[in-house]
Amino acid sequence: MAKKPILGLFETADNAADAGDALKSAGVAPTDFDFLTDAPYPEGAFGEREENHRLYIFPFVGALIGLTVGIMLTSMTQMAYPLVQGGKPILSMPPMAVVTYESTMLTAIVFTIIGIIFESRLPAFKEGLYDTRITEGYIGVLVNVDEEQLTSTQTLLTQAGAIDVVRKDGGSGA
Amino acid sequence: MAAAEPKGHGQHSGMWIYPDAKVISQDVSEKSKDMAKPFRTALVVTGILFILAIVGFIARAADDGFDEIGPWGYYTALFSMLFMVTSGAPLAACAFRFTKSHWRRPLSRVAELFSIVSILNLLMFIPMMIVLPSLENPAGSVEGQMELRRSIWFEGPIGAPHAWNLAGVAFLTITSIAILWTSAIADMGEARHSATGLKGWLYRKLAGGWYGTKRQWNVQKAGLALLGAFYFMIVVFMHFTISSDYAQSLIPGWKDSIFPVLYTVTAFQASLGAILVTLFILRRWGGYEGYIGKSTFWSASKVLLGLTLLWVYHLFAFFITFWYGRLEVEQNIIKYLIVDTYSVIFLLNLAFSFVLPFAVLVWNPVRRSDWGPSLAGLLALIGGLMFNIRIFVGSANAAPGENIYHFLLHKVPAPAYPDIWDLFIVVGGLGAAVFIYLVSTRILPILSIWEVKEGTFYQKWGKLHRGEYQILGKPE
Repeated sequence: MAKKPILGLFETADNAADAGDALKSAGVAPTDFDFLTDAPYPEGAFGEREENHRLYIFPFVGALIGLTVGIMLTSMTQMAYPLVQGGKPILSMPPMAVVTYESTMLTAIVFTIIGIIFESRLPAFKEGLYDTRITEGYIGVLVNVDEEQLTSTQTLLTQAGAIDVVRKDGGSGA
Repeated sequence: MAAAEPKGHGQHSGMWIYPDAKVISQDVSEKSKDMAKPFRTALVVTGILFILAIVGFIARAADDGFDEIGPWGYYTALFSMLFMVTSGAPLAACAFRFTKSHWRRPLSRVAELFSIVSILNLLMFIPMMIVLPSLENPAGSVEGQMELRRSIWFEGPIGAPHAWNLAGVAFLTITSIAILWTSAIADMGEARHSATGLKGWLYRKLAGGWYGTKRQWNVQKAGLALLGAFYFMIVVFMHFTISSDYAQSLIPGWKDSIFPVLYTVTAFQASLGAILVTLFILRRWGGYEGYIGKSTFWSASKVLLGLTLLWVYHLFAFFITFWYGRLEVEQNIIKYLIVDTYSVIFLLNLAFSFVLPFAVLVWNPVRRSDWGPSLAGLLALIGGLMFNIRIFVGSANAAPGENIYHFLLHKVPAPAYPDIWDLFIVVGGLGAAVFIYLVSTRILPILSIWEVKEGTFYQKWGKLHRGEYQILGKPE
């Protein structure tokens, strides 16, 4: 069954953390609720689950590709046109290093940007549930539950101290 | 007003401010829309200067074409000046984020917005590729001349120098804009519901999927760290190639490992200067005194003082090597760039990049003010301009025509004075950069809202022992 979002708004981090505890106690899976904030809170401020990402793999892969391309481009060029310059070997490292360094950096940067977009799940083509009061410092607890659990989740959020509860269908009220 | 009274006691009176996190978003959003008369006037004046720069460019092209780099010396100097500031400024945001300095919070977006000006740099670089003399001697193998100019590209691998330089300058722009986007996405995401018109459309496109989840904050933090690290690695590299291709390689026999470092230090000094001047204007006249405390100036002033001392150290290291070497070419280069041909510009460079900023920043009370570090920053900016005129006008005019393929600089060339079009280009170009920056402040908030809000979690004014102090939280 498709899950529906419901958003509880809390004035303090403690209340939001209480809501998180209550949701866990009610059997809501940790992956089914999230905390929406207007600034990054310190790790574990809401007792939330650990969020892992794989962003660091992206630049690593990009750098490897760039390094390979750089080495191939410079070495194959020098082997294809074997001109001795200043008595130096055909395959000499200093001139290869300049181009290889730049190509490594450039691809690492491109892959990092791709990684940020992918790992942040951006762009989102469908607008999710949000409330502009979060920009004023309120903390949103976004829960995805089965439709028949919406009312009980709303009650749970309210009991935890939500000043308002917003639903996708426009329903609102603490 | 979004802040309580500035705090601090004794000599640190009024040093720290504590903005009210609840009203920051709305307050900054309103300030970003404000088109007060002084702002409109600045926009008109710099817009006119922008037009003058375009006129100067067209006239220069019509008069001299793109065959020789000599007439484009002042254009190259302007490019380099803007390149220094726009490439160095985003690094300040990254570096002080790395060090987790709280005082940097109001500074971050001011620094990152310079990345939009770097688009101008990218466009300005295109003619510079055309006017740069070929690495290969068109005359081929001629006695007394090199077949291949000495440059960082050695034998000139595929595409060198133009393709790799263009790729580097383009990627600096792309990376700095990526840093700006990654940093501003949270602020744009917040404002996308309230912003209207073009701004609203832009925010929805650029930050449509931002909700401020834990995962997004974590990825943003890691992304900014990675992009910052790569940016540092590429900015230093590009300073090396630009200073090498458009300065050192144009003066036959100029071989110097210190100059690229001096170039980078000048860039960092000038860019921090530009950031401080912008912060001062915002604090004094922009209505941001509730967000930009004196502590930002105080802390940045120590970095600026360090850069000022590093600058003179590298200048001396550059000079002493050539002075002690005493080869004919080394003496000629010293005479050309320092003691003879461009001596007046050199003295101005020395005064504005070292003597005057040092004289300002050496005093504790001045460093603790908002005007002192800003004044030193302004002086460093003027010094940076003098540096670029001296080096890049000098290099472009050192060896005209086939002389550039000579092994050594045999005589001391005459100075190249600016004509009216050069003045249009330099003054107009600086105005164009300011114009673009001003426009960018109306598109994105000039304050990194999420960072300032985050700062309120970790800083408070409270009692400790028998006194009241700033108390800092340290979550990591």
